[in-house]
Amino acid sequence: MNIAVCVKQIPDPAAPGRLDPNTFNLVREGKLVMDDSDSYGVEMALQLVDRAGGGEVTLISMAPNGETSGLRTALAMGAAKAVLVSDPALGGSDALSTAKVLAAAILRNPFDMVITATESTDGYTGTVPVQIAEILGLPAVSFAKKVTLDGNKAMIERQSESGYDEVACELPAVVSVTAGVVEPRYPSFKGIMAAKSKPIETLSLSDLGLSADQVGAAGAREAIVSLRKAEARQAGQIIEDDGEAFAKIIEYLEQLKVV
Amino acid sequence: MVRGSSAKVTSERFNETHLAVVDAVDYYLNSLGPKKRSFIREIFDQHHYPDELNDAMVSLGLFGALIPACYGGTEAGLLSMVLAMERFSAFGLGNTLALLITMDTMAILTGASESMRRRFLPKIASGEIKTAFAITEPGAGTNSFELTLSAKAASDGTEYVLSGEKAWITGVDRADYVLVVARTTTLEEIKRSNLKRSFGLTLFLVPTNASGLSKVKMSTVGVEGYNQFQLFFDNVEVSSELVLGEVNHGASVLFSALNPERIVAAAMAVGSVDYFVNKAIEYAKERVVFGGRSIAHYQSLQHPLARIRTTQEGARLLTYEAAQAFDRGTAPQEVGTYANMAKYLASEVAFEAIDRSLAAHGGTGFVLETEIVQMLASTRLSKTAPINNEMVLNYIAETELGLPRSY
Repeated sequence: MNIAVCVKQIPDPAAPGRLDPNTFNLVREGKLVMDDSDSYGVEMALQLVDRAGGGEVTLISMAPNGETSGLRTALAMGAAKAVLVSDPALGGSDALSTAKVLAAAILRNPFDMVITATESTDGYTGTVPVQIAEILGLPAVSFAKKVTLDGNKAMIERQSESGYDEVACELPAVVSVTAGVVEPRYPSFKGIMAAKSKPIETLSLSDLGLSADQVGAAGAREAIVSLRKAEARQAGQIIEDDGEAFAKIIEYLEQLKVV
Repeated sequence: MVRGSSAKVTSERFNETHLAVVDAVDYYLNSLGPKKRSFIREIFDQHHYPDELNDAMVSLGLFGALIPACYGGTEAGLLSMVLAMERFSAFGLGNTLALLITMDTMAILTGASESMRRRFLPKIASGEIKTAFAITEPGAGTNSFELTLSAKAASDGTEYVLSGEKAWITGVDRADYVLVVARTTTLEEIKRSNLKRSFGLTLFLVPTNASGLSKVKMSTVGVEGYNQFQLFFDNVEVSSELVLGEVNHGASVLFSALNPERIVAAAMAVGSVDYFVNKAIEYAKERVVFGGRSIAHYQSLQHPLARIRTTQEGARLLTYEAAQAFDRGTAPQEVGTYANMAKYLASEVAFEAIDRSLAAHGGTGFVLETEIVQMLASTRLSKTAPINNEMVLNYIAETELGLPRSY
């Protein structure tokens, strides 16, 4: 069982982010960290490979400046190796360009499943997983909250608004997992030491057979045309509890038709 | 940005293992996010150290830090444990059980037979077995050679029968075994035969569910997150396989374990200084009283904190020195000097830090939600336990200054 996991490396969410005033893109200089939402996919992949009794987890990432800090974290969790695509021409890539690059990188190694998060924590388009599936000609199962294997099929519980769907899917397939799918491990110090010597293959666009006009700002079909601050939320209503506050709260909820 | 530990852990001074331990601990602590505060509430309001934090310390390889790989340990060393505990404590999450386990591990490594090591060490490293430590008695604290809990060998030699009482024993309700220091030769016999005062003590690893062993919770404050107990041994039968080290020579095993205990205690106190100072800085930058400037501009606020930060760094370096000497296998006597100095300075500066942090906060410092004042007892306790600072000074005066024994 070989699984490719897409891992995005993003600016540390604990530090205040910055937007480029011209392109409106997030500034991605300096050290990047593994997007927390990808830790679930890494953990799911490690568990599936473990249960299958063999195979390995390969990380797939696209990041500027040959950045590997976030990948080292995922390698420390237990992934075997990583493929990083880093090329100045990728600056300004939209979701589709990103999917093209990740799909091409995924094809570098044999795989039975591709796992992604449902969306990244810095971009939130949520479209890349299905775009990858489309480019690779594979089925896509999104919002998986449970993944198990049954022979050559993945049995997936797919989160929906009213509950979940049970889906059986032939492999290979692309599966996007929610934060509820598994509890991710955190790297042990032994994992961190081992990760230092694990291979990260760093590729340019030409290594993948892609040209600069297909991707990056040049190939982007979406563009951010303007930005404005989110409207400040209106102050909430404060009910002083004089012993009758519950009645007012019930009345308010009834107005909203939620009770 | 949330300020955490002020320790600068770089490759000039530390090896790859230390750096990786720090990375792993930081990753874990960062991933906790706001949960850190709910853990503080659990420790100080519900008086329960979170299982999740103990489990994390196991996963991080900390409970196996002193244990060789052949017994399932991580061999990270005491300095790694120190670096890790400092960082947990910098967020108010110091763990007394980690200190006890480190100490008991050392006693097992020093005194236990090969079969005992194989039986216990892998399970301590994996977190399956947690241990407490019982030496103090109502009539024997610092004067531990006065302890009277007796262990008598059964006639066939396969077991011992323990009778007597212990007090201030921490975390017994969360531990599977308790390392009990018992007397196998009476004080009268020692005097009559003119034996050394340290003779006659024997260590036993007693299961906490042993028949005849009962515990009564004491109403103490200070060891936050854990309870302290009086233990009553009513003819508790303990297999002679559970004896650590040689009968009557338990004291020498014990002494090997005291250094790691003090060093980890020092690390937690050093780390807690960051917690109190960071809280003070955070608040002082926001609080404006006179003239439109925050109180952070005042020297009366800055100087105490700067002095504390300086003393903290001194205590930290002593702690590192002690841990490094221990990891190098330096003679316990020599490690002991640094361990005692570290424990002394760290606990003194920690108590000063909480005092100045409360001063910086004014009335806000005495609001529980500020999460400082409930740590007052535990911070003060660090000056009294695992050994009181007066005894530490006695020791340093005697061993370092060559002055006559004063007690």
